[in-house]
Amino acid sequence: MTAPSQATHSDYFAVFGLSRKLSVDLTLLEQKFLQLSWKLHPDNFVNAGEQERELSLKKSSELNDAYRVLRDPLTRVEYLLEIEGERKEGQTKQQAPPELLEEVFELNESLDELREAKQSGGDLIELKGRLESAEDNFQGKLEEVDSKLESVAREWDGAVEAKADTAARKQIFAGMNELLNRRSYIRNLVANVRKELEE
Amino acid sequence: MGKIVGIDLGTTNSLVAYLDPQTKQPKCITGPHGSTLCPSVVSLDPDGNIVVGESARRRLLTQPERTIYSVKRLMGRGVKDIQDELKLFPFRLDPSSSNVIRVRLGEKVFTPPEISAFILRELKNWAEAFFGEPVDRAVITVPAYFNDAQRQATKDAGRIAGLEVLRLVNEPTAAALAYGLHEKQRGKVAVYDLGGGTFDISILKLISTQEGDIYQVLATNGDTHLGGDDIDNLLQAFVHEKILQTDEIDFSPHGEIAQELRKALIAVKHDLSKNESATLKFPLPNGKMFTLEFTRGAIDALIRPVVDRTMGPVKLALADAKMKPEELDEVVLVGGTTRTPLIRRTVQEFFGRAPHIELNPDEVVALGAAVQANILEHGVSNMLLLDVTPLSLGIETYGGAVAKIISRNSPIPASAQEMYTTGVDNQTGIDIHVLQGERELAKDCRSLARFTLKVPPAPAGLPRIEVRFLIDANGILQVGAKDLRTGEQHSIEVQPSYGISDSEIERMLEESIEYAEQDFAERQAIEARTEAETILAATAKALANPQSSALPSEERAKIDSAVLALKESTSGSDYRLMRKKIDELNGATQHLAEVMMNGAVNSVLQGKRLEDF
Repeated sequence: MTAPSQATHSDYFAVFGLSRKLSVDLTLLEQKFLQLSWKLHPDNFVNAGEQERELSLKKSSELNDAYRVLRDPLTRVEYLLEIEGERKEGQTKQQAPPELLEEVFELNESLDELREAKQSGGDLIELKGRLESAEDNFQGKLEEVDSKLESVAREWDGAVEAKADTAARKQIFAGMNELLNRRSYIRNLVANVRKELEE
Repeated sequence: MGKIVGIDLGTTNSLVAYLDPQTKQPKCITGPHGSTLCPSVVSLDPDGNIVVGESARRRLLTQPERTIYSVKRLMGRGVKDIQDELKLFPFRLDPSSSNVIRVRLGEKVFTPPEISAFILRELKNWAEAFFGEPVDRAVITVPAYFNDAQRQATKDAGRIAGLEVLRLVNEPTAAALAYGLHEKQRGKVAVYDLGGGTFDISILKLISTQEGDIYQVLATNGDTHLGGDDIDNLLQAFVHEKILQTDEIDFSPHGEIAQELRKALIAVKHDLSKNESATLKFPLPNGKMFTLEFTRGAIDALIRPVVDRTMGPVKLALADAKMKPEELDEVVLVGGTTRTPLIRRTVQEFFGRAPHIELNPDEVVALGAAVQANILEHGVSNMLLLDVTPLSLGIETYGGAVAKIISRNSPIPASAQEMYTTGVDNQTGIDIHVLQGERELAKDCRSLARFTLKVPPAPAGLPRIEVRFLIDANGILQVGAKDLRTGEQHSIEVQPSYGISDSEIERMLEESIEYAEQDFAERQAIEARTEAETILAATAKALANPQSSALPSEERAKIDSAVLALKESTSGSDYRLMRKKIDELNGATQHLAEVMMNGAVNSVLQGKRLEDF
């Protein structure tokens, strides 16, 4: 008999009886989430003994955590890397990916100009327009990253099915890490632009 | 075991409701003054007796310095948080107030949970008079946007009132439960809840499944300091200004005349919800009669800012639920303030559909609380409520920034684990600061707790302590730690940043019992016996289940003897002995609980009934 209360963490995929694959049927996930909620939610254990109440709290929070992480494709990839011990947030988070260097440089210049213009009361309209189109441009790149993440996720599922070797898996993980880091870099960039535009 | 009720502990009025066993419909209990509304007003009379409700409300005019209203605004807050309210409300703070507020009523000093407990005890009395039986457990509602400290304060109030709080339920969720039962609604529902002092918006999905109906909250947002009180304050300031102009009288906003005026203005406001115009007639201290005619248009213009402030949270909640206003199937209005025609019009225009107002907006939250109380009383039911945490949980990192560990609108219970280690050799403690809120800097978020994690001396970076943050089904934080090298569990003494300690609550409980003139030991024995009955019933139920046959026979024997010992102890009156036997039975059934729960989970994972879904 397994004693779940002693295990540190359950694998979130296993909570739903799933293998560690990235394509998840969201309708099915929600159905299982609701079914398991009926079984595990603390509301069912109000009149139970202390042990059962605590176990229900632990199990239902784990279920909710698993659902929260797996229903979003992005946190799902991050979680996979984490449990595989392969998440590398790396220094790249602060550094512009090489192919974006030039555009990032231009963007930062425009941001500086906007800040100066705000202080000196200069003409903001032209600058704001330039920043808005830059924001659109980066927004597009974000979508590009997301679609690449989708295809690398499919690649991973294929590798799992083909029982691919460690080297092949590591390569896929490296690709995922790079995409995730690029994504968070661009997102920060866009957030900064938006903040300046709104102020 | 005593009766169980649902309580709406409101800013302006509080109510108590129960589920009628014949009709299976919730009903509010009527108080001695013939109304289901108990004004949330508490007064200490000159003889030292506590007066609650309608009688206390009358004393607002005659003894304002011994009487308090809208105490909900103070729950779970510190002195610094309430500077704005102090300008508008006649709260008399004791100088000893700091992170816990202490309010003066005549010659005595009380904390907000104690004052709320007086209101809860009054409602408990109403219910006991109605049933002719004791009431010892309750579901109490709170604004969905209440933070951890505000929830904890509400739970404390329940304890001080001698009620076991089975669950804190979010007010809009409770309202949805009442409407769902009444109207058989399904689909996506928005609940717009504007009460006396708080505003909530919740987006829910009502789902019918094989097992029963699920009420799943997708997103919630709000403002815990926005409500009908703010409308009254605007009206009052407007009329004060007029009186100053015409009669050159400038009276303090906190005195008896101000209370009289406030009462007259609330009557005008209620009038204007039904009629196009209303007249304020108010006798001034100079003997003159002040008269002012209000039209609905003029009042709409005055209160427009309050209504506009509600729309920000509405848009945020929709964005978090990933929905557009027109995608909702139903909109429900809750809270007395939603009787205001401007609010009805604004909500209708925004969502493009007429809101539901079939159930009394003052009663609907209490009705929902009674439904949830009934669900909890019977353990398993054909209704399930899945709620979310309204605010993100975070921990302070270097430079005063906040790392979010559980994001807002996560389903609860929710948890997160964080790993900690040391930065220097032989470091013996790690300071942890837990916060709640959406802002990026710790100073802009709400401090929940600070504590120091104790670490055995070791070289830097070697200790590995896992801290588990858990938000329970009440939306209240629990913290636990585990040393991953030794596997040792650490208990963490978390002193809440805003709140009263357990020992203080015990003292307040004893004092409040003095007010209620009941014997402490007797009360404790009753509570212990109730708990014993609960665990005995649960154990019997578990043992009757075929899955329990997986239990080794020596374990079974241990449980049987613990059951006998507990039963024997309950025939006496020694509550300490009963508690001891309860703990022993709890210990003996630990493995049994796991056996049962694993069986239940496996049946779902094997997909036995997935196709029936």
